[in-house]
Amino acid sequence: MVKENLEKVAEGEFEPLIIAYCCNWCSYAGADLAGTSRFEYPTNIRIIRIMCTGRMDSTLVLEALRMGADGVLIAGCHPGDCHYQKGNFMMEKRFDYLKKAVKNIGIEPERVRLEWVSASEGGKWAALVREMAEEIKQLGPSPFRLRSIPKKTDAAIDAFKSQRLRWVVGRSQIKVEIEEQKYRQTVDLIMQVEIERHMITLALKEKGPLTAEELSQITGLQPNKTMQHLIALRRDGIVIEAGEKNNQYLYQLV
Amino acid sequence: MEQEPRIGVFICSCGTNIGGVVNVPEVTEYAKTIPHVIHADHNLYTCSEAGLTAIKESIKEHNLNRVVVASCTPRTHEPLFRAACREASLNPYLFEMANIREHVSWVHPHDPEKATRKAKDIVRMAVAKAALLEPQTEPEVEVKGSSLVIGAGVAGLTAALSMASQGFKVYLIEKEKELGGMARRLYKLYPTLADSSEVVGPLTKDVESHENIEVMTSASLKDISGYVGNFNAVLTGPEGDKEVDVGTVIVAAGSSNYTPPKGLYEYGVHDHVITQGELDEKLKKGEIGEPERIVMIQCVGARKGEIRPSALEAFPKSDTAELLRKILKARKEEGWPYCSRICCMNAIKNAILIKEKSPKTDVVVLFGDLRVYKEYEDFYRKARDLEVRFIRHIEEARPEITRTPDGKLQVMAYDALAGLEVKFPADWVVLSTPLIPSKDEIMLGRMLKIPIATDGFLMEAHLKLRPVDTNVEGVFIAGTVSGPKDVSESIVSGEAAAARASILMGNGKVRTDAITAVVDEDLCIGCGLCEEICPYGAPRIEDGKSKIREILCRGCGSCAAECPKRAITMRHYGDNQLLAQVKALLVPQSHEGGLT
Repeated sequence: MVKENLEKVAEGEFEPLIIAYCCNWCSYAGADLAGTSRFEYPTNIRIIRIMCTGRMDSTLVLEALRMGADGVLIAGCHPGDCHYQKGNFMMEKRFDYLKKAVKNIGIEPERVRLEWVSASEGGKWAALVREMAEEIKQLGPSPFRLRSIPKKTDAAIDAFKSQRLRWVVGRSQIKVEIEEQKYRQTVDLIMQVEIERHMITLALKEKGPLTAEELSQITGLQPNKTMQHLIALRRDGIVIEAGEKNNQYLYQLV
Repeated sequence: MEQEPRIGVFICSCGTNIGGVVNVPEVTEYAKTIPHVIHADHNLYTCSEAGLTAIKESIKEHNLNRVVVASCTPRTHEPLFRAACREASLNPYLFEMANIREHVSWVHPHDPEKATRKAKDIVRMAVAKAALLEPQTEPEVEVKGSSLVIGAGVAGLTAALSMASQGFKVYLIEKEKELGGMARRLYKLYPTLADSSEVVGPLTKDVESHENIEVMTSASLKDISGYVGNFNAVLTGPEGDKEVDVGTVIVAAGSSNYTPPKGLYEYGVHDHVITQGELDEKLKKGEIGEPERIVMIQCVGARKGEIRPSALEAFPKSDTAELLRKILKARKEEGWPYCSRICCMNAIKNAILIKEKSPKTDVVVLFGDLRVYKEYEDFYRKARDLEVRFIRHIEEARPEITRTPDGKLQVMAYDALAGLEVKFPADWVVLSTPLIPSKDEIMLGRMLKIPIATDGFLMEAHLKLRPVDTNVEGVFIAGTVSGPKDVSESIVSGEAAAARASILMGNGKVRTDAITAVVDEDLCIGCGLCEEICPYGAPRIEDGKSKIREILCRGCGSCAAECPKRAITMRHYGDNQLLAQVKALLVPQSHEGGLT
């Protein structure tokens, strides 16, 4: 599969597959208008209808990338035009963190875009698809289609499903007492920590009891960092010691 | 759970609209190979009587429990196909559409091969979602036979009268002491030149004497809760608060007149520089007399300034005061971006009034564009026959106020047709200014949860198809709250809003959308984030768990996207249903397609 893909790319046959999550009220209608107006654009896009970009859980994007999408577009109403008042603003807030996570797992952040297309902007829709398809053609197929998917991807998906990260991202949608810049830094930090901890738990899930040293080797995290995470995971009742090996504690999932 | 999915796929050629590009028979044969597909067929027009009958018969014949139609956009045709399913005793939410016209054949006419492949993908994705669809019930609620009308301008008065005449109880509130709104302050109306009191007077009288209408003046809406059919509103006036229960609400709160900032064309500096509205009042009082020359300048504060979304950035913080401050400040300086529709006619009307009284007065109208339509063209000709001078300046070069050597007010402009700079000493300079969103109207929009468009007016549910509906069921808009209108247009919209509200009240009940949020109480920890995020106040924490009041939920899904415990799912748009589409596209099993 990987070899075939590489050959196809070499032959210049690469046609990217882009998933577009479009909100029903603006962007889906904008894409409809492109059709009614007979604006032509490349065939690389597949639209999934959602009611509002406010509904876009970050995991929906990460999962699509994991399954090998070459690009993901999220398209909604212009600021101020949201059918539900502020769903697009909520998506915008979330998008910052999502983009960082995408970069973190080794995907070019340009593969993921958030755009505003109104129901009257058929031309803009067509131009956007043209531009995005071209950009992604230049980038080539998703790295996940060419080589095996790093464990970090699963850890990132798990992190975005985890209560802690979701809580801090969710809180950023409403007024927070701390200065915005500081709050963002906190969320970034928690995101990083959660991804690393989920790399540890994933390894324990797959391989059974492991020592800190072994975990450090598998995950590529620094030993002291691995130890810090293990202490936190133990405190949270997620891992527990399970005997010893080479004079070191073995850890396993509770 | 239920039975295995048995899916029927119906592919439409739409004459040659789809069939001319996409190989429909090939897609049909392909559909038969997709897991769970029991039956697949194609028609010339699936939306025709024959096409719908074929769907209904196939449901029975093949014992189908899911239906997919691959044709045009669900935004126009989903209701039709859902109805066909319902007629064949299949829950309408077990239906899914694949859009292979607007999103395929119409945009890829020159690449039939790739278009056909894309159509197959889209059908496969729709089938994958269909397999996971679940039947839904649309909640039914009673609609009270009473309405609250906010604002007693011509639109509100008309709406109130129309509903009251149909036997519904109407509460009409007006923030001013008198009824009649903006029209009451006008002098003459175009194009009839009738006195505005001839329109407003009888309307007011009829409303005041109607037994079904309860009028409250110097009053405003203090609070409103509830949902379509069952709103509870707190009205506040000089006699204190009053609570009313109503089935529908019509917002007819009007708009304001743009006041130019002090100094613009010397407005507020020279007392003979006035707005068109102020001219109206002066004409009414006979204060204009027989001057030598009056110069009118069109589009002052209108049709300029970009729509800047950044002006709305305060929006998500729900801080209305901040939002207002930003919009209004930006607009005061830059003007409003749209054409206000009424100013051209208003200027022509006042020009005619002046000329009829004082033919010797030279009336000059300086414009960038003049917009008259319908029979108003005759009105414009009438003004020309009366020798009103219409002079076009190029839009970039706005007229300027200067002084004559002897200190008289003078307007300088660049005549676009003559290619010359022209100077007009003037006794009066009249600025034609736009109707703009009022502060009260924006506050009302926020209170009622009606989206506010980027121009600041309240947004209709659909510009063409639902012009007096809002996104809040049971709440309608009439008059200039949704954009500039003249008196007759305001009356039309008042009648329209009343008709829409009366349909609900006449039926006495309504079904609301089944696409709502659902909480898994086992997962919910009652953190209350959903309660804080929801723009509609649908979730409420009770006994440590989030309870969604379905009737308030509009189905946006923001709560589901943010729930820390992922305890909230959306009906009909669940994570599993969305991801099934992604998976069907990228990693399909046991059949062709997917990544290559």
